[in-house]
Amino acid sequence: MLETIPAAERAAVAPRSRSRLSRAAPFVAAVLASLALWIAPAFLDTFAVNVLTRSMIYAVLAVTVDLLWGFAGILTFGQAAFFGVGAYAAAMILGAYGATPVGIAAALATAVAAPALLGLVVGWLSFYHRSTPLYASVISLVVPIVVTQLIYSGGEWTGSSSGLVGFDVLPFEIEGYFRLAALVLVAVTLAAWILVQSDAGRALVALKDNEARCAYLGLNPRRLQILLTTALAAVAGLAGFLFANASGVVAPENAGFLFGTELVIWVALGGRGTLLGPVIGTIAIDYLAANLSGDLPFLWQLLLGTAFVAIIILLPGGLADPVGRLWRALPVGRTGQAAPALAAREAGSATSTAEAPILKVQGLAKSYGSLTVLEGIDLEIRAGELVSLVGPNGAGKTTLMRCLSDGTEPFRGAIAIGGTPTTGLTPNRIVGLGVGRKFQVASVFESLSVADCLRLARASHDGLSPLSQAPTLGLPQAALDVLRMTGLDRLLTRPTRLLSHGQKQALELAMVVALEPRLILLDEPTAGLTKAERTTIGSVLKALTAGGRIAAVLVEHDLDFVREISSRIVVLHQGRLVLDGTVDEVVGSELVRTIYSGGAHA
Amino acid sequence: MLLLLDILTTAAILFIVSIGLLAIFGVLKIINFAHGAWLTVGAYCAVVTAKLGLNPWLALPLAFVVGAVLGGLAEHFIIRPLYRRPLDAILATWGLGIVVGQLITLAFGRDVQLTPNLFAGTVAFGGVEYSAYRLVALGIALVIGTLFALTIERTRLGLSARAVIMNETLARSLGIDTGRVRLVVFMVGAGLAALAGVLLTPLTSVDPNMGVSWLIGAFMLVMVADASFLALAAACLVFGAAQVLISTFVSPILGSIAVAVLAALVLRVSPKGFSRA
Repeated sequence: MLETIPAAERAAVAPRSRSRLSRAAPFVAAVLASLALWIAPAFLDTFAVNVLTRSMIYAVLAVTVDLLWGFAGILTFGQAAFFGVGAYAAAMILGAYGATPVGIAAALATAVAAPALLGLVVGWLSFYHRSTPLYASVISLVVPIVVTQLIYSGGEWTGSSSGLVGFDVLPFEIEGYFRLAALVLVAVTLAAWILVQSDAGRALVALKDNEARCAYLGLNPRRLQILLTTALAAVAGLAGFLFANASGVVAPENAGFLFGTELVIWVALGGRGTLLGPVIGTIAIDYLAANLSGDLPFLWQLLLGTAFVAIIILLPGGLADPVGRLWRALPVGRTGQAAPALAAREAGSATSTAEAPILKVQGLAKSYGSLTVLEGIDLEIRAGELVSLVGPNGAGKTTLMRCLSDGTEPFRGAIAIGGTPTTGLTPNRIVGLGVGRKFQVASVFESLSVADCLRLARASHDGLSPLSQAPTLGLPQAALDVLRMTGLDRLLTRPTRLLSHGQKQALELAMVVALEPRLILLDEPTAGLTKAERTTIGSVLKALTAGGRIAAVLVEHDLDFVREISSRIVVLHQGRLVLDGTVDEVVGSELVRTIYSGGAHA
Repeated sequence: MLLLLDILTTAAILFIVSIGLLAIFGVLKIINFAHGAWLTVGAYCAVVTAKLGLNPWLALPLAFVVGAVLGGLAEHFIIRPLYRRPLDAILATWGLGIVVGQLITLAFGRDVQLTPNLFAGTVAFGGVEYSAYRLVALGIALVIGTLFALTIERTRLGLSARAVIMNETLARSLGIDTGRVRLVVFMVGAGLAALAGVLLTPLTSVDPNMGVSWLIGAFMLVMVADASFLALAAACLVFGAAQVLISTFVSPILGSIAVAVLAALVLRVSPKGFSRA
């Protein structure tokens, strides 16, 4: 269902975006920081230059931990392992081939590729359908332990417990390493900054916020998480390469679990999710540690540990949190996000195969242990139909919706969307078949803005730029209608956590409609809404299905609403499909009255 | 025979070390990374007992009490505010572990401490000479396991704890003081960990960081057991056996990571671990 937006239309709405000044600001800051760091060695003594070189390399790692933990919500101790693998790869290859051009190139390539490969494996292990964040953290604990033990058992190759020394390194003075580390740090931080400000960066936050919603927007959370783990493992490997060269020593501790926890501590103290906080925090803490731990080794650790516990409990945003609040209180800090321009895009010329049913359910049954929730459900739904699923509480309506939208639910029988069986398919793949699902409790991204939520809903069609924020937001007409009718089009920059219940419901509906599904599943779309909001949603659904290309299934308790909008009603009772007919047939039926009035005649 | 004894006693030691962590994970649903610190605290209770010239076995009740008191303080000031942020609770308890470790270092120094053996010598068992203490540890594990099971099944606290494990909201609405249950369970868990620390002293060296090396293994076992007491016993047997067998026949280094790696793989295949069986 790909379609194109005319280039002219895209260009026409562009200018009203953020000023050029604020877009250039990160680059200017990066250049200034590079210049300052370039001349810094002239003013520092040898000890400080040495220590700060190491600190800056660690800060590169802190940026990767922050991206994973602060933005994508993956608490990881594993970056140390990737760092260690990179450092050892560099040391081993430089030791074997010397610092010849070929040797250096091979060392650099391996130091990046080997951790990336390991990252791919770790990512595959950590993230799978229904994996938990805790499990990913567990794996990230195991990886450094395994890597360290492998280093210990590596014999002469890895130098076992004493590590490797005396290998050839890059032909730099200590100032040279300082500048190299500084440039890499600035470049990595700038790249991370651009990423998190971009549309793709929003997807990271969305993953942390609401992974299920991501999947039901057709994004593959697994793939994103694995990709991120792999890419950041490569960056950690690069930091390891730098470290091996700058220090001339690699030791098992560089890959260890304790180092992994230290990285997390630095990021937490600096302020997770802020990028600059962890960078400054890491450099400050590592530099202080180098200066203080000589005199007060235990006291320093004690202070650090106490500060860490206090920060986690009292100031989860780290030290960057109060600083950031202060900054936003200043007039210069209050830039705010510019609203993208809304644009309509032509509806996709969907291959409407009017003959085949969009949804075909045969003999569907589902039970939890001995409790049978659904049994012998047969259902066919064709384009243009608006089917209401009614039935008393516990009839199995929501379970049926879940089976329709998630093929990994253990059910018996067969479900096919447009002829494709869904058994075993994860929700994002079923979305790919053209199914959109709206949940009973509005499921949106609480920490993103309305516009970002809608952008993510379009991501499976239009992709997300990892470099910038698109100035326009192209949505199908139906989604625009939902926004206009509910006034959300004037609230595009508002964080969704500030929306009312009804606005959240409308936003989720707009997101689902923006997917341009062939089959739209709605679980009580009007629960808790006002009469006016209900009418709006009713007319949107009618307009959507009237085109004859989309079908909708909604679970609904409000029989008046059902009677008004449905083309067909299906009655579910105690897990069985007891009635399936037109509005008049069902509403007039004796059976429905019996079910709803508990056995007696109404 | 030797191998079998090794497997049984290794499993027993793993069980002793992880049972406190399991209790806390089950009821509070957080991973207590200060567990290693409680182990260390317990071991230093043995050191103190020895320095005072008391019977080494007195270290057991002392460690349990000290662990429980410290655990109570930690629950009140650190765990309670983080109840809704489980991943942060991992970090805060890790930080607490650092603090405890450094305080011990300040008080006792960084050096390895010597403690009197709780039960010296060897006994002939099934044709081999075997460390008497390891057999005693096996017995102690059985006693702890039985007491733990009886507490869970037969006491009011056990009943409340089971209610909280199954459905905390419902338990609270039935008038169970879930906050108190959590506090008591955390205290018991920390006490058991300190007890385990004393029991470890004849087997390992005592130093301020000794707990950390046991932490990961215990943590992985508890993850696999998923808050089920019997599953923990099963996991200790299976992974203990794997550790002994790999150490004996392949390499001690691989043996030392066997528990962590195998547990991670088991969780990947079956997220509920051993508790499903």
